Amino acid sequence: MQVTVDGTAVQVSDGATVLEAAKRAGSWVPTLCFDERQAPFGACRACMVAVDGSAKPVPACTTLCREGMVIDTTDPTARRVATAVVELVLSELPSAPAPHTELAAVAAKLGVEGPRWPGATHPVAHDLRHPYLAFEHELCISCGRCVRACDEVQGTFALTAVGRGFEANVAAGIGSGFLESACVSCGACADTCPTDAITERLLLDGGNNGGPPPDAPRLRRRLSTN
Amino acid sequence: MSRNLVELIRRHDQAAAPTALDLLKAAAERHGSVTADDVRDAAAASGLPEATVYGVATFYDDLNEPRGDRHVRACSGTACFAATAGRHIAELGAGLGLDVDGVKGDGSVSFGEVVCLGFCHSSPAVIDGRTVVAGADAVQTVLAGAPAPAAEPDWVSLLEQPVLTRSGDWSGLARALRELEPEQLLAEVEAAEVRGRGGAGFPAGVKWRFTRAATGADKFIVANGDEGDPGSYIDKYLMERNPQLVLEGMALAGYAVGAAHGYILVRSEYPLSKPTLDATIAKAHADGWLGSDIQGSGFDFDITVVEGAGSYVVGEETALLACLQGLRGTVSARPPFPAERGVHGMPTVVNNVETLANIPYIALRGAQAYHDLSPDTKTAGSKLVCFNERFSRPTVYEVPFGMSMRRLCDEVAGGMRDGHTVKALQIGGPLGGILPAHLLDTAFDFEPLAAHGCMVGHGSIVAFDEDMDMRALTVHLLEFGAHESCGKCFPCRIGLRRAHEMFSAGTPVDRERFEQLLETLELGSLCAHGSGMPAPLRSLLTHFADELGLAS
Amino acid sequence: MDTERFDRTVTTTCGYCGVGCRLEAHVRQGRILSISPASDGPANRGHTCLKGRFAHQFTRSRERLTTPLIREAGELRPASWEEAYARIASELGRIKRDHGPDAIAGLASSRATNEDCYAMARLMRAAIGTNNIDNCSRVCHSPTSFAMRKSFGLSGATGSFDDIDHADVAILIGVNPTQGHPVVGARIKQAALRGCKLITIDPRRIELADYGALHLSPRPGTNAAVVLGLCHVVARDGLTDADFIAQRTTGYEALAELLGSYTPEAVEEITGIPAADIERAAHMYAEAGSASLLWGLGVTEHKYGSEVVQLLCNLALMTGKVGKPGSALLPLRGQNNVQGSSDMGALPDTYTAYRPVSDEATARQFEQAWGVPLSRRKGYTIPQMFDAAIAGDLKAMYIFGEDVAQTDPDTAHVVEALENLEFLVCQDIFENETSKYADVILPASSFLEKAGTFVNAERRFQLVEPAIDPPGGARTDFEIITTVSKLLGHDMGFQTPWDCLDEIARLTPQYAGVSRERIGRHGLQWPVRPDGSDSPVLYDTFFDNPEELGKFAALPYKEPGDAADDEFPLILVTGRVLQHYNAGTMTRRTNNVELVDRDVLEVHPQDAAKLWVSDGDLVSLRSRVGRIELEAHVTERIQPGHVFTTFHFPETRTNLLVGQSADVNTSCPEYKVVAVDVRPVSEHPAYVPQLAVV
Repeated sequence: MQVTVDGTAVQVSDGATVLEAAKRAGSWVPTLCFDERQAPFGACRACMVAVDGSAKPVPACTTLCREGMVIDTTDPTARRVATAVVELVLSELPSAPAPHTELAAVAAKLGVEGPRWPGATHPVAHDLRHPYLAFEHELCISCGRCVRACDEVQGTFALTAVGRGFEANVAAGIGSGFLESACVSCGACADTCPTDAITERLLLDGGNNGGPPPDAPRLRRRLSTN
Repeated sequence: MSRNLVELIRRHDQAAAPTALDLLKAAAERHGSVTADDVRDAAAASGLPEATVYGVATFYDDLNEPRGDRHVRACSGTACFAATAGRHIAELGAGLGLDVDGVKGDGSVSFGEVVCLGFCHSSPAVIDGRTVVAGADAVQTVLAGAPAPAAEPDWVSLLEQPVLTRSGDWSGLARALRELEPEQLLAEVEAAEVRGRGGAGFPAGVKWRFTRAATGADKFIVANGDEGDPGSYIDKYLMERNPQLVLEGMALAGYAVGAAHGYILVRSEYPLSKPTLDATIAKAHADGWLGSDIQGSGFDFDITVVEGAGSYVVGEETALLACLQGLRGTVSARPPFPAERGVHGMPTVVNNVETLANIPYIALRGAQAYHDLSPDTKTAGSKLVCFNERFSRPTVYEVPFGMSMRRLCDEVAGGMRDGHTVKALQIGGPLGGILPAHLLDTAFDFEPLAAHGCMVGHGSIVAFDEDMDMRALTVHLLEFGAHESCGKCFPCRIGLRRAHEMFSAGTPVDRERFEQLLETLELGSLCAHGSGMPAPLRSLLTHFADELGLAS
Repeated sequence: MDTERFDRTVTTTCGYCGVGCRLEAHVRQGRILSISPASDGPANRGHTCLKGRFAHQFTRSRERLTTPLIREAGELRPASWEEAYARIASELGRIKRDHGPDAIAGLASSRATNEDCYAMARLMRAAIGTNNIDNCSRVCHSPTSFAMRKSFGLSGATGSFDDIDHADVAILIGVNPTQGHPVVGARIKQAALRGCKLITIDPRRIELADYGALHLSPRPGTNAAVVLGLCHVVARDGLTDADFIAQRTTGYEALAELLGSYTPEAVEEITGIPAADIERAAHMYAEAGSASLLWGLGVTEHKYGSEVVQLLCNLALMTGKVGKPGSALLPLRGQNNVQGSSDMGALPDTYTAYRPVSDEATARQFEQAWGVPLSRRKGYTIPQMFDAAIAGDLKAMYIFGEDVAQTDPDTAHVVEALENLEFLVCQDIFENETSKYADVILPASSFLEKAGTFVNAERRFQLVEPAIDPPGGARTDFEIITTVSKLLGHDMGFQTPWDCLDEIARLTPQYAGVSRERIGRHGLQWPVRPDGSDSPVLYDTFFDNPEELGKFAALPYKEPGDAADDEFPLILVTGRVLQHYNAGTMTRRTNNVELVDRDVLEVHPQDAAKLWVSDGDLVSLRSRVGRIELEAHVTERIQPGHVFTTFHFPETRTNLLVGQSADVNTSCPEYKVVAVDVRPVSEHPAYVPQLAVV
C-alpha cells in the first residue's frame, strides 16, 4: 500500500508499521525501546508522530499503516511529547549517559534541555562478576530491549523486568546476576542496550585465563563502583 | 506480552492448573515472603523460566509486603481518604506500634496499606487477616483484637425491570441455547449497543464480532473482575451477590463467539469473591449449566476463577491477560488486540463483569427491551452506581442513564451525612474527572460528563466534603498513580513519580511545568492509567487552583 | 556503536563453527577491542554467540607462536623464517628424492580459508606430486559428504538456514545446536516456539528437546535402525509421495523390500525407543506440509555414519521433502570451513567440487593450469596416513591448523605415527600436542588476521577480511604455503588470496561466478553460475547426477563397532559445550574458562548410585584402549547406561579412549560409541592422563 511520510510517498507492505514507513521514506523518528531484531514494544513513547485521522499523536512503532495514510514525523505536538519523554528519562539517571550511547544521541538530536522535572534517580548497583558482561542497574531505563533480546533473539530467558513503576529495572536470573542465571553469555543484551546499563567489558587488558580485574576498563567511561 | 512466554504457558497448561503467580502467592501465604527457592519451584512447576518468575514475584503488592503471623492492612482508597484524610492509617500504625510495611521483631504482627477493600460505604476499612472491619470505629475494633466482619448494605434498583440486581437464573442462556443460533445472539448484542462498563465504554458487540471472526484452535472469554478503582464496589456486589448472572453472561459470550472456556479474574482485596464464584460454578456444574453438553445443546463451557495479587493496572485488558496467565501485570501495546491474541495467544473476549451481567437480559428479552431501560437517553441499558461513606445512604444502586448528578446524590443517596455539603465529586474511579458542586446538574451519561472532563467510568461516585484539602487530595491521587504505574511506558513510569514529587515536596508548584507534564502523560502514555491520571488533576487545576499551592 | 572509540571496523566471518556468522571486528591500536554481530549477516541476522563475540583474546595471548621453531639436538629453538623454510625445502626435497612423493602427506585445516586449503592441496599435488592431502572434515562430516553425493549428487546442504523458518516439522538427529551451533540453535528454538514441531533424536535429552514435540533416545550406534523404522512406518501407512518417487527417484523397490522387517516393534528392540514414538515421529514428519532434517556428528561419527546419512536421504526422498522451501536436509558442520576445505579439494581423492583425481579431463585441466604432471592415484586419508607412518611408508607430514594428537581417535596410535615420521612440519597459532613431535613449527594466523573466504554449512561463500596483523613474526598461512611451494620449485603465482579465489572460480564450473566483489556482504551459495546467480535451494527440479534422479540406498542396520559388555558396561558418547570450541586451542585462552574450566563426565543418577559416584567425584574412565580421569556430573540429561563428556581440555585427553573403529566408507572415526568402565577414584593420584593400560 502507499502512504505519505512528510510529503514523500512510499510503498509499504501490509502490516507495516508507521515507523517502517518513516524509515523507508528516510524520515528520522526518535526511538529508545525499538530494535529491528525484536517485535515492537511501545514502551518509550519517543516515536510519537502525527497521522491524519487521529487527534492525538500516535506511537510510530506500534501503529500500523493503512492505505493512503498521511504521516507527519515533525508534528510539533508529537515532537514536544517525545522531547519531554527523553527529558524524563535523563532525569532518572544519576549521571548523564555516555556520549556514544543511543540515548545520548537521541537526546542530542532532539535538543533536549532541562530537566524541567528533576527528582529521584536510580540507586547505584553494579554486577561486575561476569567475565564479559557488566550490569550497572542505575543506568537502566526499562526499555526492555535486553529482556526481549534474550527472549526473542537468543531464547534463553535469563533476563526479566523487575519491580514496578519508577522502581522498575531489569535483573538476571533470580536477581542474582548473570553468573548465577541461565545466561549463555551471547551478549545480545549488551549489544542492544541504549544506555550502556549492560556493557561488554573491555577485553584488551584482561590476562589469559585469569580474567579481568573487577574494575577492568569497559567500553564506557568508568563510574565509581560501590 | 512475550509471545514466547505465552507459548510456554500454553504448552504447559493443564486445565485449571495453578499459574506461576498462584504458586508464588501460596508460598507467600505459607511463610510470609517469596524466597529464591519458591521462585525456582514455581518456575519448575509452571514451565516458565526462573528469571521470568522472579520478575512476577517482584511485581505484585501481595508478594512484596512483609507479612507477620497477623497481617493488618489499612485501606488507602479514595473513599477512606475522603472519610479521614488518611488519619485512620496513622492511628492504626501508632496503635500497632508499626510503620507502614513494618513487622514486629518476633514476626507476630505486620502492618501495611491496601488499595481499596470495596467497603467505601463504611469507611474507613481495615483488613485483619482475611476479615474486613469497617466503619468509624474500625481502627479501635482492630486494635482491641476482636475484629468482626463489617456488614454491607443491600443494593437497590430504581428500575421497574431490574437487569443487574435481578438474581441470575440461567433463563437467558436457556433461551439462547433453545432458540438462538450463536450468530443471532451476537446480532442481538450488537443491536443492544452494550458499551463496556469497566470504564472505556467500548462496544462489547465489536469485541465479540472480532473474536468470532478470528481464527484460533481455542477461544476464550475473560471476565474482568479486577475492580481496582478506589471508591468502587460494584463488581464486588455483582460477584458476591449475583455471581450466577455474571457466569451466565460469560457462558452466553462463549456461545456467541465459539469459546469453550472462560476465566474470571478477581481481586485478592475481595477475599470473598473467589470462594463465592467457585461455589456457584460448582453448583452450576451440578445443575447442568456449565460443563460439557450444557442442557443437551452440545455447547460446552467451563469457567476458572483466578485471583490477582495486588495491582491496579491489571484491570487494563492486556495486563489482565498477563496476570491471568501468571505473568507480570504490565500493559502491552495493541495491536495485537485480545480478540486476535489473548489467553494462550488465542482469540479472547475481555469484558468487565458488569458488562457481561447485562447479557442474560438481552438474551432473554432482546435488544429493544434493553434500549428501553434508559428512556431519557440514547445510551442503552442500566448502570450500577455506588456511593461513598460521605453520603447518607451509601450503597450500590441500579439506575437508568440520564439522571442528573444532583438527583443521584440528593434523592438516591440521601444527600451528605451529618449536615456536610458536597465540595466535589470524583466519578468513575481514579482516572475520572472531578466535578465541583456547582456542576451537579450535569446528567449522568457518557457525553454530558465528558463535556466537563469527567466520565461515567465504572460508576463510582465519591463525594468530598467542605473540609477536604484539595492539595492533600492531589497528593493522594498522585501517590496512587505513581504506586500503581506498571512501569512499562516511560511517561507514566517517570512522569507520575515526578508529578507526585512536585506536590509532595511541600513547596509551591510551577503550574506551567506541571501542565507540560500532564500533556506528556496524557498524549504519551501507553494505557489509560497514565493518560487518564491527568483528568482529575486538570479538574483540580480548573476548579480549585487557588487551593493547590501553585507558584504565583 | 561509537566509531570514535575504534580506529576501524572490519566486517568478516566468524572462525568458530559452521554457522558462518558475519561479524564486525572493532579495532584500536592494532588490537581487537570488541566484536559485534553484523546486522545483515544472512545466517546470524544481527546475533552471535559468546565465542564469536567475546572469545578473541586468544589472538593476543602471550602463548601465541611469533617466531619459527626448529628442532636441533632434540630441542626446539627459535629460528628465522629463512632457516625454517630452508629446512623444510631440504627435508621434503630429500624425502621426495629418496622415497618418492607419496612418502609425504599434508593436512589442510577446516578452520583455514578456502584459499589456504586450495593452496595446501596445490602444494601437495603440484609441488610435491602426491594426492596425500586430507583435512579434518575426515573426522567429522566426511560421511555426510560421501552420502549426499551418492544420494543427491552434491556434497552440501540442500537448502538454507532460512528453511528452518518455513518448516512445519524438523527432525534433529545427533546434533545439539544450542551448544554446538548456538546461533542456529537460537533460530531453531524461536521457530519451535512459533509452532515448528521439533523431533529430537539423541541419546541425551538436549536442550531443544524441552521445546520440541517429541524426543527419542536411541542407544548409541543404532541411528540406522531409527531411520529405517521411520521409513517403515512411512511406507506401511501410505505416507509416501508416490509421484515424487516415480518421477524423481530410482531404487525405491529394493528399499521397500528391505523396510519390511523394520517394524516399530523390531526397532524398539534394537534402539530402545518405544514403538509408538517411532510411529508418531514418522507421521509427524511425513504428514507435515514442509519438514526439514538436521544432523551433526552424532550421525556421522559412527561405523556406519555415512549409511545413516544415506538413510536420512531416503526418508526425504520417500516423502518428497527435498528441494522445497521448508523441506531441506541441513547437516550442521562442525568447524567454520568444513564445507569449504573439502569443496576446495583438500581431499586425497578429489579436486575442487569433488571431481575425482582419477578423472582424466579434470586432471588435464589442472595440469594445464599448474604446468606440472599430476598423479591420478588416490592419496591417503588421515587414518591411512597414520597407518602408513607406522608401517614406515610415510616419512614426512606437513600439518597446518590441526592438532591430531589431541583430536583424532586412539591417541596412542597417532602419537606412535608422529614419532615414527622422519620429518614433521606443524603450522599453527599455538604449540599443541601434535607440535611436540614437530621438527619445524611455523607461526601462523588466526581468522582475524587473514583474508580469504569460508563456506558455511549452507554452502555460502563469505568473505574473511583481516582485522589485525599476525603477532610478532607470525605470517598468514597463505603466505607460508605459497612460499614453501615456491621454494620447492612450484611458484603458484598468487599475489594475494583473491588471486587464488579467481583461479578456483576459473577452474571450477560450480564456482564459476564466484568473486570477491560478488560475494560482498551477503555471500554466494554454490553452485554459482557464471553470471553470479547462486543457489539457496538445490534439487528443486532435478538431482545432480547423470540420471538427474535421487537414489535410494537399501542399507540394513548393522551393529556399531563397539558394544558394552561385562568389563566395559557403559557407553561413552562425546560432544561439545557452548563455551568451548573443539580442542579448546582458542577458547581456553580466553575468559571463557571463567565460565567452564574443565571437561566433566555426565552420569545418570541410577548409574551413579550403582557406581558409588556422587556429583563432583573424580572418576576413572577406562576403555579398551586407554584410561583417563575426570569429574563426574550426575544428571538426568543422559540415559542410564550411557555417559557423556567433552574433549575441550588437553588435560583430559578424552580421545585416548576412542579406538580404531571408523566409518566403513570414509574412515570417519567412531567417536560416538565407546564402551567404558567407570569407577570412582578413591585417592587422588596425579591428575595426569595415561596411555593405554592393556
